[in-house]
Amino acid sequence: MTLSEATHQAFVLLLGGDPKLWGIIWVSIRVSTLALISAVPLAVLSGFVLATFTFPGRRALVVILQTLLALPTVIVGLVLYMVLSRQGPLGEWHWLFTQEAMILGQAVLAFPILAAMTLSAVQGVDKRAAETAKTLGASRLQAMWTVLLEARFAVLVAIATGFGRVLSEIGCAMMVGGNIAGVTRNITTAIALETSKGEFAQGIALGAVLVVLALAVNFAMNFFQGKGLTR
Amino acid sequence: MKPIFALQNLRKSHGERLLLNIDKLELQRGNTYLLLGENGVGKTTLLRIMAGLEAADGGQFQFDGQFVNSDTERAALAPNLIYVHQHSYLFYTNVAENIGYGLKLRGIPKTEREALVAAELVWAGITHLRDVPPNQLSGGEKQRVAMARARVLKPELLLLDEPTANLDDAAREQVVELIAHMRDANNCVIIATHDKELAEIPDAVKLKLEEGRVQG
Ligand SMILES: Nc1ncnc2c1ncn2[C@@H]1O[C@H](COP(=O)(O)OP(=O)(O)OP(=O)(O)O)[C@@H](O)[C@H]1O
Ligand SMILES: [Mg+2]
Repeated sequence: MTLSEATHQAFVLLLGGDPKLWGIIWVSIRVSTLALISAVPLAVLSGFVLATFTFPGRRALVVILQTLLALPTVIVGLVLYMVLSRQGPLGEWHWLFTQEAMILGQAVLAFPILAAMTLSAVQGVDKRAAETAKTLGASRLQAMWTVLLEARFAVLVAIATGFGRVLSEIGCAMMVGGNIAGVTRNITTAIALETSKGEFAQGIALGAVLVVLALAVNFAMNFFQGKGLTR
Repeated sequence: MKPIFALQNLRKSHGERLLLNIDKLELQRGNTYLLLGENGVGKTTLLRIMAGLEAADGGQFQFDGQFVNSDTERAALAPNLIYVHQHSYLFYTNVAENIGYGLKLRGIPKTEREALVAAELVWAGITHLRDVPPNQLSGGEKQRVAMARARVLKPELLLLDEPTANLDDAAREQVVELIAHMRDANNCVIIATHDKELAEIPDAVKLKLEEGRVQG
């Protein structure tokens, strides 16, 4: 099959609503969305706390967080694999090769991005915001909430960035998901598999979807950034 | 008459430099004060200390006869004592939300809040800007929003830090007029400025800050 034939075939699959193909896309979107939803509350809170309070060990935590940003996805996959495998501490959950395991892995991957970006977002808020809140009668807690709200567009940028990262990662999804057809096979693991089997059409179709999703995420990010910056 | 705000023996240093060294200062209700002084003389620092946004190195403070010696005690006077920044900060919402901010904190119900905000918009002459976000406001408009946002909370002591800095003549005139209308028999307004035009505010008491001391 030539490249143009494969590309043609890819669009036939996509537009024809091929259930297998769209099932794979759905796994990606579902897993990555749930991963983000699970990671956001704690990650945003952590970033906020690191930006707002000074306490012993804070610097060390920030350095660790920044290091985790560059953590290879296969390392997260490896660690989770060991933790979730039958002999591992969480072996009883029977999560290995399930979507739950992928969600957990992607949540772990998203956490440092979300936390680190929230940290700089909150640090970026004008010092006068908290003072203004307080002088208008806000309690400490209310003033903090106001500051977080002032950073909301930058936090949304963080969420979009995190979503982009987990959507396109493969190492962790492959290791703890296992690329099981109809269960844990997502866009990236499917592309890897189909390509190695020499079936390019589905790979191209999925690749196109991934690029479109990445574009959508970046447009969203751009929109939020624009909102946040033009003050 | 019992002063609304009094301080004694205020000391404040930045490093080696003794910035403020004020033996006594009393502010009375019904008065407007102009805190005059050169750049860097410590006007902002004095107002921020009064508002509890900064700690003093020493001194006794009283608000309406009550001792408020620590910065936390003074900060707790908000929003009965409000400090408006030199370049006032507006929350990234819109004009009406900004003016309603303190009312919302107080738990005032929505309909009542909206009525109070509407009245304030009229007072400041910015009704047409009701739903506009702060990044689309001019410097003078921002200043008027900040003043309305403070005024709606009816503070007994209002600290305005250079409210007319960086405004053009027309905007300055409007802000000066608003300041003149801020005062009533029960409250006290103190304005840090080196703007000569603010001297037009009728019956303002001039305080000159020089070498850390206040000259009446
Ligand atoms: N945190 C700080 N550390 C060291 N010096 C400071 C600090 N804050 C202010 N200063 C210094 O204290 C002095 C007084 O500052 P302040 O802002 O109170 O003056 P100001 O009278 O309001 O001046 P301006 O008219 O320019 O607003 C300045 O010389 C300033 O550099
Ligand atoms: Mg100043």
